Amino acid sequence: MAGGISVEGGSGSRRAVDSEINMIPMIDLLMVTISFLLITAVWSHMARLNADAQVPGPPRPDEEITKVEPEKQLHVEMRDQDKSKFTLVWKQGATVVNSIDVPRKDQVSMESNIEVVRYPELAAKISEEWKNVGSHRDPTDPKLDQAVLHTDNDTPYSNIIGVIDAVYQTHRPRNLGSKTEPVSAFNVTFSVN
Amino acid sequence: MPVHNPGRRLMHGVPLRFVRKKVLGFGSRSVAANLSLTSMIDFLIVTVVFLLMTFSASGETPVQKGVNLPKAENALDMIDAPLVAVAGSQILVDGAPAGNTRAIEDSKRLQRVDELYNLLKGKRETWKQARPGKEFPGVVVLQIDQKVPAVVVKSVFQTAAFAGYPNVSFMVNAIPKSEH
Repeated sequence: MAGGISVEGGSGSRRAVDSEINMIPMIDLLMVTISFLLITAVWSHMARLNADAQVPGPPRPDEEITKVEPEKQLHVEMRDQDKSKFTLVWKQGATVVNSIDVPRKDQVSMESNIEVVRYPELAAKISEEWKNVGSHRDPTDPKLDQAVLHTDNDTPYSNIIGVIDAVYQTHRPRNLGSKTEPVSAFNVTFSVN
Repeated sequence: MPVHNPGRRLMHGVPLRFVRKKVLGFGSRSVAANLSLTSMIDFLIVTVVFLLMTFSASGETPVQKGVNLPKAENALDMIDAPLVAVAGSQILVDGAPAGNTRAIEDSKRLQRVDELYNLLKGKRETWKQARPGKEFPGVVVLQIDQKVPAVVVKSVFQTAAFAGYPNVSFMVNAIPKSEH
């Protein structure tokens, strides 16, 4: 063909530029790979929400007790009798720094037959509060602000998760080595009292 | 062995005309269809790439039967830690029975679950013996049904904390973040 470039073997002793792939084993390989991946596929992604417990450790008589200024903590109260509000209380030790009420609006939706409870207003208010009162906002600061969740004994677990999820919605930048990544601004402690 | 002329063959000598018509497609639609190899291989490769990207080599944490996990948006990746499941009124640690929640539900009061406490404490001791000199991470994952009342959650949580597991995580189904 005039002007065309031939990639075929040619008449000389040089090897051909292209080589042929046997289609049957190739398609077999692809089919087997697809079958393996489909069988081992996981379609629901499991994850976790961290919620530390604050329990007193064993006494350490060998260590000298140093007095440390208590940090500000955000207490999220969901123990309202008529379940109409949350109370956000910033405390420094036993001292109440700031306290506000947030109207409780459960945003319930069904996703794959599972009830999902969200509190967007609470999440927005917590974010706003953290911007005003939060202590650890610098990207170089490795510590996180502490949020303590208080709930009554009858609250369903899905609502507790909804509130913890709302607390974790507030993010801040944090330097992790050479790069900066958004991390949750709070570390949640689940209060058992 | 002497060489003979081949005998009658299907589609030449044997007059199965209806078979021949069917196969070759004369007069009606052919049984055989053409498949474009390029498109097929493209499709297979795209499928393989997608499945490889969503593949998890670490496997998945098993969820106990009867447990409907709640869903959350701002969740972290799972970690390898003892799994405490609350399925119905039964408590299981890594699949092994560790007490039940009936007493807590009846009294509606926070209380320690002794069987769970002893089992977790035993696991902690085993871990420490296997890794002398290493600091115990104290991490436990709670797999609890979404309808379980807070008093049960608190009791299990407190029991785990007092057994030496203060870093408690709640297992959830991760969902994509919604726009508020």
